[in-house]
Order: sequence, then structure tokens, then C-alpha cells
Amino acid sequence: MPDVRRIKEKVFIAAIVALTMVAVAPLFHIIASVAIKGSKAVIEAGPSFILDTPAPPGASYTGGIGPALLGSAWLGVLSALLGTPLALFTAVFIVEFRDSRLGRAARIFTNSLLEVPTVLIGMLVYVVVVVPMGGYSILAGAIALAIVMLPYTVSYVERALDGVPRTYREAGFSIGMTRSQVVFRVVMGIARRGVLAGILIGIAKAIGETAPLLFTVGSARNNYPTSPSDVLEPGDAVPLLIYQFAQSPFDNWHDLAWGAALVLTLIVLLVFIAMRVVVREVRV
Amino acid sequence: MERNMVDVRVEDLHVWIGRKHVLKGVSMKASPGSVTAVMGPSGSGKSTLIRVINRLIDLIPEARVKGRVTMGGIDVLSADPYTVRRNVGMVFQEPNPFPHMTIYENVAIGPKLHGLAKDKGELDRIVEWALRAAHLWDEVKDRLDDYPHQLSGGQRQRLSLARALALKPKVLLLDEPTANIDPVSTGKIERSIVEFAKENMATVIMVTHTPQQAARISDHILFIYEGRVVEYGPTSEIILHPKTELTKRFLEGGV
Repeated sequence: MPDVRRIKEKVFIAAIVALTMVAVAPLFHIIASVAIKGSKAVIEAGPSFILDTPAPPGASYTGGIGPALLGSAWLGVLSALLGTPLALFTAVFIVEFRDSRLGRAARIFTNSLLEVPTVLIGMLVYVVVVVPMGGYSILAGAIALAIVMLPYTVSYVERALDGVPRTYREAGFSIGMTRSQVVFRVVMGIARRGVLAGILIGIAKAIGETAPLLFTVGSARNNYPTSPSDVLEPGDAVPLLIYQFAQSPFDNWHDLAWGAALVLTLIVLLVFIAMRVVVREVRV
Repeated sequence: MERNMVDVRVEDLHVWIGRKHVLKGVSMKASPGSVTAVMGPSGSGKSTLIRVINRLIDLIPEARVKGRVTMGGIDVLSADPYTVRRNVGMVFQEPNPFPHMTIYENVAIGPKLHGLAKDKGELDRIVEWALRAAHLWDEVKDRLDDYPHQLSGGQRQRLSLARALALKPKVLLLDEPTANIDPVSTGKIERSIVEFAKENMATVIMVTHTPQQAARISDHILFIYEGRVVEYGPTSEIILHPKTELTKRFLEGGV
């Protein structure tokens, strides 16, 4: 009898391992193909890959993703500037007024935002920002991305603030701190690792998004947005370039898209590494 | 409430937390320059009593308070809680210096927030004074930029004490401050408490579990059982001649 049990156990474990491999295989496939095909394109183009504009369709070379890269940098910075303060205050509000009706509403609202297809967020910004402004712009894209990052950053920061033991709040109040002093000097300070992680996760999420940009930034493939006033002009972004070039019928544009995919993956990876390294953990 | 001495009076205090009637008509008085020990079994309402005095009870949304608490004649329950707390120091059972601030910052934050120091030099002097008052200065004077996790548990508790003392509170509350602390630090904390009470004519109220500690440092003992005052009087009297059987059993370690 015990043998049957042991056999069942082995079959069970084998099934788990097999299914896990099935689940993880796509990830490896993505990483491997991006690394192989992407690095080929990047190496062939050399430094011009991150500096130049894309080559004309059907040319014998790929050109670069300079404008898109610069556009993505603007989008990352701007959306963080717009989205982060909003997310921090929302998270604080949810944690501090957990039992109030408005606090619960804010919580449900941000959680629902997580479920809204990001393409709808792009359409919303198209209606509310792009149409009144009279055209696509990097700023409109950044507003869409700020909305996309909001629920991610909020839920992460909220958990971080919730994790701070009550005794530190009590200690803050006991020396006569006001509520906002307790929140911003004590709770946020102790939870700073989680707070920064939430901010960076929001930025990483925003940098990788395509759908919210479809109706908002335009695809100004050859404009380098170098001065701050350029954010009111149409721009480009790396994921948008990948999406559009991968669909094109031209081999050199396919190669460019692969290379861009590699660059995008590396950027997101870098953000996550920065998150681990830069933020020093508060030891309790 | 500047500089003058402040006594604490509690009259017929009732506290409900949710549906639980935690304090059922507690009255007591604590005078400047003295240490009052609050004793009683776990769950008898000791911590709740001192949390009413500095209005930390406000942090519990389902708590309801009835009765009268005054500090130097001022009605604590209707006063601005932030002003009350600024004048009342508190040390908790678990050492809780702010983990993201250095030793120096932990002590300096109170005086800084309340504008007690005109310049860095004055702040330095307050920090040194508070750390000396908590008998911690000699151990940390060369490492003020270290963080609390680099200290022992007993040192962390003395740092919490120094943080409270830095505001020179007129009333000092302690909630079993040495429950989990090594004997050496316990001795230093006890000495700090007595010195602070006597030298600054502060009113000290300390919750403690150990009769020996109450005997060593308190002038009065308040004995609470199930939310009611069972005995209240000078320490020597209560230790030597407990009036009720309950107090006697507790002092002998039976409750």
C-alpha cells in the first residue's frame, strides 16, 4: 500500500514540474529571442542604434531609435512627475482614512483602475487632452501613462505604509507630532523602501506600455524632443515603435524593432536593479 | 503650562473600547516630583489609563471616554491633543526609537519640531542633556550617527526615554518600560526615572508588572483590577500592609 502512495506522490510532483515548465517556457522564449535577434540588430548598427533616426523602409541598414528613446525618457520623467505625487497622496489617504466612506471609495476606485484596459485610458486622454489641445503630444502621452501607473504605485505604497508597526505611529504622536508629521516624517520614512519600489514599479510599467500611447503621442519618428517645449509636440516612444515597425512589411524595420525590444527590456531591467540597489532598507 | 509644576488628577474615568467597558470609574492623583506606579494583572486597564492622560486613546476610533482628567488644572479631555502630548512624554513597552533616524535625530526630532532650540549648538546641548538623563550618553557619544538597530534592546529603550525627555515634559508616562529589558539597562532606566521626577519636579506615572520595581522607585501605588481601583496609597504602606486580599495575592505573585 505505501508504494501506491509513493507513486501517486511522484506523479503529482512530475505534473507540477511539467506544468511549471509550460508556464515559464514563453518567458524564456521571449527573453531568448529578444536577446538573440535584438543583439544582432544592435551590434550591426553600433552606437548609431541609440542615436540615429530609423532608416527608410526597405533600406539595407536599420538606422536607430534615437527619437523614440528620447521620447520614452520624457514620457517616463513626465508621467512620474504627474503620477507619483498623486499616487502617494492617494495611498496615504487610503491608509489614513481606511474606515471612512471616501477612503473606501478611493481604494475601490484605484483597484478598478487596475482592471481598465489601458487602451481605454488612451482613448480617454485623446478625448480630454488631445482634442482640446489640437494634436498629439508627449504631454498627452505622459498624462495617459500617469493614469496607468497610478493604481500600481498606489497599491504598492499602500501596502508599504500598512506594514509600518503601530508603535512608531504612537511614538510620533506621543512627542506631539501632528498627523501629517507622523505620516510624512515617520511612516513614510520607515516605509521608504516600499514607497520607492512602488514609484519605480509604476515608472517601469509606464515605460513599457504601448496602448495608452496609440491615441496620444503620435508617431513623430524623426523628431528629437530636446527642449522642454517639445513635450507639447508629437513624439515617439520605444514600445510604440516596436508595435508599429513589427507590423511593417520591411525586413530592416523588423530588425530595428527587435533591437528596440532588447533596449526596452534592458531599461526596465535597469529600473528594477536600481530599485534593489539604491534604496537602503530600514532595519527595525 | 510653562515651566510650572503640573499634577495629574483623574476623576471617575470610564473608558469603553467597542462594547468592552475597560475602565469603570477610576480616580487617582499624581503629584509633581513623585513616581506613581500603576499595577494590576494583564488586561486590567493600566495601559488604557495612561493612554487617556496623553490622549493616545484618540487613535483608537472605537474608544469612548467619560469622566474628568486634568493636568495642572487644565481639562485634558477637551484640550487640543497635540498640546497635551507635547507636554506629556511617553515610553512604551517595546523600545520604539524611529528606525530610519540616527541616534541623534531620534532625540533631536521633538525639540526641532517644537522649536525649542534656536541653533545647532543649542540642539546639541539638548540632545546631550537628554541622553545623559537617560544614562545612555557614555555609550553612544562617539556614535551619534549610528542607527537604532546597531544598539542593544536596553540601549534602544533608553534612547526612547531620551527622545521623550528631550521635550522636558511636565508629565512622563511609562508603559511597562522594562518588561523586556536586561537588568543593567533596567537599573539605569529606573535611576533616570527617579532623577527626572525629582530634579525637574515632573509627575511620573509608570505601569509596572513587578512589585519589586514599584517598591524600588515609586512613591505611590495605584492597584487596578478589572477596570476598578482596588487600592491606592503610599508605596510602603501598600507593600507592607495591603488592605485587600487581592493586592496581597498580586504582590506575592499569585494573580
